[in-house]
Amino acid sequence: MTVVAIPKTKAEEALARNFETVAERLPGGRAVAEARRSAIGMFAEMGLPHRRVEEWKYSDLRNTMKDAPPVPVGEPKPLTREAVSQALRELGRIEAHRIVFVDGIYRADLSDSDGMKGLEVGPLAQALGKPGVGLMHENLPGHAAIVALNTAYVSDGAVIRVAQGAELSKPLLLVFLRAAGEGALLTTRNIMSLAADSAATVIEAHVTLAGAAAGQDNCLSEVTVGEGARLAHLKVALAGAGQHLGTWLVNLGKTSTYRGFQMTAETGFTRNTTFLTYGGVDAKADISGVFLARGVEHVDTTLVIDHAVPQCESRELFKGVLDGRGRGVFQGKVIVRPDAQKSDGKQMAQALMLSEDAEFDSKPELEIFADDVVCGHGSTCAEIDDDLLFYMRARGIDKETARGLLIESFIAEAIEKVEHEALRDALQAMTVASLQRRA
Amino acid sequence: MTMLEIKDLHVKLEDEDKEILRGVTLTIPKGEVHAIMGPNGSGKSTLAYVIAGRDGYEVTQGDITWNGESILEMEPDERAAKGVFLAFQYPLELPGVATLTFLRTAANSLLKKRGQKEMTTPEFLKHVRAEAEKLGVTDEMLKRPLNVGFSGGEKKRMEILQMSVLAPSLAVLDETDSGLDIDAMRIVAQGVNALRGPERSMLLITHYQRLLDYIVPDKVHVMARGRILKTGPKELALELERSGYAGFTTEAA
Repeated sequence: MTVVAIPKTKAEEALARNFETVAERLPGGRAVAEARRSAIGMFAEMGLPHRRVEEWKYSDLRNTMKDAPPVPVGEPKPLTREAVSQALRELGRIEAHRIVFVDGIYRADLSDSDGMKGLEVGPLAQALGKPGVGLMHENLPGHAAIVALNTAYVSDGAVIRVAQGAELSKPLLLVFLRAAGEGALLTTRNIMSLAADSAATVIEAHVTLAGAAAGQDNCLSEVTVGEGARLAHLKVALAGAGQHLGTWLVNLGKTSTYRGFQMTAETGFTRNTTFLTYGGVDAKADISGVFLARGVEHVDTTLVIDHAVPQCESRELFKGVLDGRGRGVFQGKVIVRPDAQKSDGKQMAQALMLSEDAEFDSKPELEIFADDVVCGHGSTCAEIDDDLLFYMRARGIDKETARGLLIESFIAEAIEKVEHEALRDALQAMTVASLQRRA
Repeated sequence: MTMLEIKDLHVKLEDEDKEILRGVTLTIPKGEVHAIMGPNGSGKSTLAYVIAGRDGYEVTQGDITWNGESILEMEPDERAAKGVFLAFQYPLELPGVATLTFLRTAANSLLKKRGQKEMTTPEFLKHVRAEAEKLGVTDEMLKRPLNVGFSGGEKKRMEILQMSVLAPSLAVLDETDSGLDIDAMRIVAQGVNALRGPERSMLLITHYQRLLDYIVPDKVHVMARGRILKTGPKELALELERSGYAGFTTEAA
């Protein structure tokens, strides 16, 4: 066998080299520093994922990433709470416990300091290296390079613990604001754990301050939902012209409930990968989302749902609105292990194409090794329905407004999955406003 | 004088050569209700769609004027702003958009196009609720997505409610009686009759005579093979009920 050495790209070289200049400043003790060094070594060997890697067939990160932005240095930027709220758009008006990170660093001055009953939350930079807080590095298939970069570069994030039986009185809003005037690599990681029978709503908002430069986000959330616990976990990414690489690693305990939601818009290149594993029987997961792509934007949603134990339920529903040369990718893998009898999985990915040049690639994958399961998947790709358009116009509604209502109608089913009413309304309003911006 | 005038209208589908309407001429004066009856495939629904401005048809000859102005070049929403309304044979469903939201969007679009002031939410709600009550449309139905999960009768009532709220000056009702049981038809007919007035012209398109027991037309036109073959008083409908359309479908063109 001939091993062909693939030359490193400019971005790959910069990612490996930049690490040396910032390693000293990154948080964590000696063990963490070693983990970081080992991770960057791993990355240097693997390089960025590209289209010949099966999991990245439709999203060639190596080709997309022409260069790697540096990790921001310097004094924290002076900002007001109002400026943060403005960047959050409709989400800024939600009553929530707010924790703010600017350019990848926790900002106490912009975060809520009053506590919430049953909640322990703090910045990862302070917790890192303390007992029980390390940097997990799982060798996830096709995804090791992204996790390795996160491990190497992570600067901060939220460590969240919800006490047994506690039900948080309001949502926890984690704000990741990009503010730097020069392109920056922002690497964050959240560690969330819900103890048995607790309940929480956590929103991650990746937003951009007006005037900030495009860069790259690499954000990872490690989520553990304890027995009987209930978590609504949402992410909103309005990340700007650069790349947004999101990873969710979710582990569900017995009889727990997980409701995930992802909204992506106005972002150059997005790859959201979720690995969800059932660790206990009778757990339920419902993951949905809305993605908007216009211009040359690219949004990739990749899910790996692992029914490792029996009697669990999984639901996925993603809706994309694609305009211009926008491209949507959906990869949904559902694994049902040999013992995972009575697994129940359903998956649907739908795209509404607003232009001739838009593209939607949908790849469902079912790997079923048990024989008593119910699993299904579907995918559709459609244009605006002319009959409906005529019906609305015959009532006096002009073409643009009618199209807008039809798009709202299309995405509504996914947005309705969000149970928290104020949040649902905010997401609906944000999506509609974002769609109107394109006009 | 305010009226609908259809003159020698020839229509074919854009992508087919066969003519569907082969010279329809029809006049509806202001305040009158006319019925068009005819067998399946006679071109009745095509006529309704062409009046409302649906894409996919090509007018090869003739004209449609409303209040003296040709509407053929107008977009469907411009026609609506001129007072044209089509009640659909098969009302469409719009998931995720509440009926009230839809109604308010339509009502305000029309007001805006006509250069009138848009209604405030409380004004609008009051207006809709009053009309809805008459048609037995509940608040709960108004909150639900438009027509989603509605029965056939509920959908038709919703069409009439839209007509009441939008108050057109020309209403075309395409087979509004189809799929309705006698009770539903009575409610729908009451709704339509309540809208009759000196300022409003109506065109009822129907296959059966029974609707005309409840909505008594000023004139009845018989349509077959793309033409109006006979026009007469309301009694013509009864004659058709007895003899059927056989005489019309075989008559030489």
